[in-house]
Amino acid sequence: MSDNRIEGYARGLFEIARAEGTLDEVEDELFRFARSYESSDQLRNALNDELIPPAKRQAIIEDLLGSKATSTTTQLISMVVGSGRTRDLPAIVDNLVARASSAKDLEVAEVRTAVALTADQQTRLAAALTNATGKQVNLKVVVDSSVLGGIVATVGDTVIDGSVRTRIDQLKSRL
Amino acid sequence: MRLLEILIRAAGEGHEHDVTQTPSKFLPEGYELLFGIPASLLVFGLLYKFAGPVIKKGMAARTAKIQAELDAGEAARSAADIEAVKIREAKGDIASERSRILADADAQAATMLADGRARIKTELAEVEAKALADIASVQSRVGDELRAEIARLSSAAVDQVVTGSLDDATHQELIENFIQRVGAQKAGASK
Repeated sequence: MSDNRIEGYARGLFEIARAEGTLDEVEDELFRFARSYESSDQLRNALNDELIPPAKRQAIIEDLLGSKATSTTTQLISMVVGSGRTRDLPAIVDNLVARASSAKDLEVAEVRTAVALTADQQTRLAAALTNATGKQVNLKVVVDSSVLGGIVATVGDTVIDGSVRTRIDQLKSRL
Repeated sequence: MRLLEILIRAAGEGHEHDVTQTPSKFLPEGYELLFGIPASLLVFGLLYKFAGPVIKKGMAARTAKIQAELDAGEAARSAADIEAVKIREAKGDIASERSRILADADAQAATMLADGRARIKTELAEVEAKALADIASVQSRVGDELRAEIARLSSAAVDQVVTGSLDDATHQELIENFIQRVGAQKAGASK
């Protein structure tokens, strides 16, 4: 899919969410769903299976999100899936998040951890990242068991890796 | 003369002696002598005249044949003598050739022996070098395999040990350490 089309979809989703007045919430839910989509082979296969009718794939989305997400988020994802752009969903969502952050003069900080962060930890981490990068950040936390422990934070092109996985990999490399 | 007297007496005394007895113990009757001698001479004369040349010719041919055989024998003997001389000379040549060939053979054998020793020495050195290289290669490979196996086992052990020791408190400690470390960094010093 071309960058223009991805940008067009992202702009559309962004405008809808903003119009609904749930931009922050929708943006966060879309981001989480996009990460889940990337990490789950089963979900990816189900949503990309051409043998499954689009309506059924949309029903899967509604079953999955249900009460866990706002109706706006569910409808936006269903719309993308129904239009056959499921493969581009992560790129569209990333573009939307970047657009939303930019609108608030923030930089997206993707944080991957093995366990969920508390609100206090998120606040302190956002402040620490702001201090380290010199940019106000829009923190997006992804729980990723492959990290094993610690945190990997990505702000723009800057990666701050404090994960156990990376340390183990370095140790294996030395071995 | 004595013979003639005997012949005359025999002719005159023909009727007085016993016909069954000869007058001499050695000579026949006189008339036999009288007719026998001329007849014998005649026969001899005829033989001499007619058979003599043939016999003479045959004898000459035989003589020539024998002479030819003698000459051939002499020639064969001469040829044999020459051949004997050649053989003796050849024998001498053979002896010297034999000595030369033996000397050559000895020289070739010595050269071959020296070459063979040198070649064997070289091959031995090559085999030894190859064996040493193989041993070094095997040592290196075994060392590498051993290191790889240790690394693999260590990696597996690290995964198990680290994963097993990551309880909730450790997770929280890691997160807090990360926040403190990042918070302590100044803008532009992050990695």
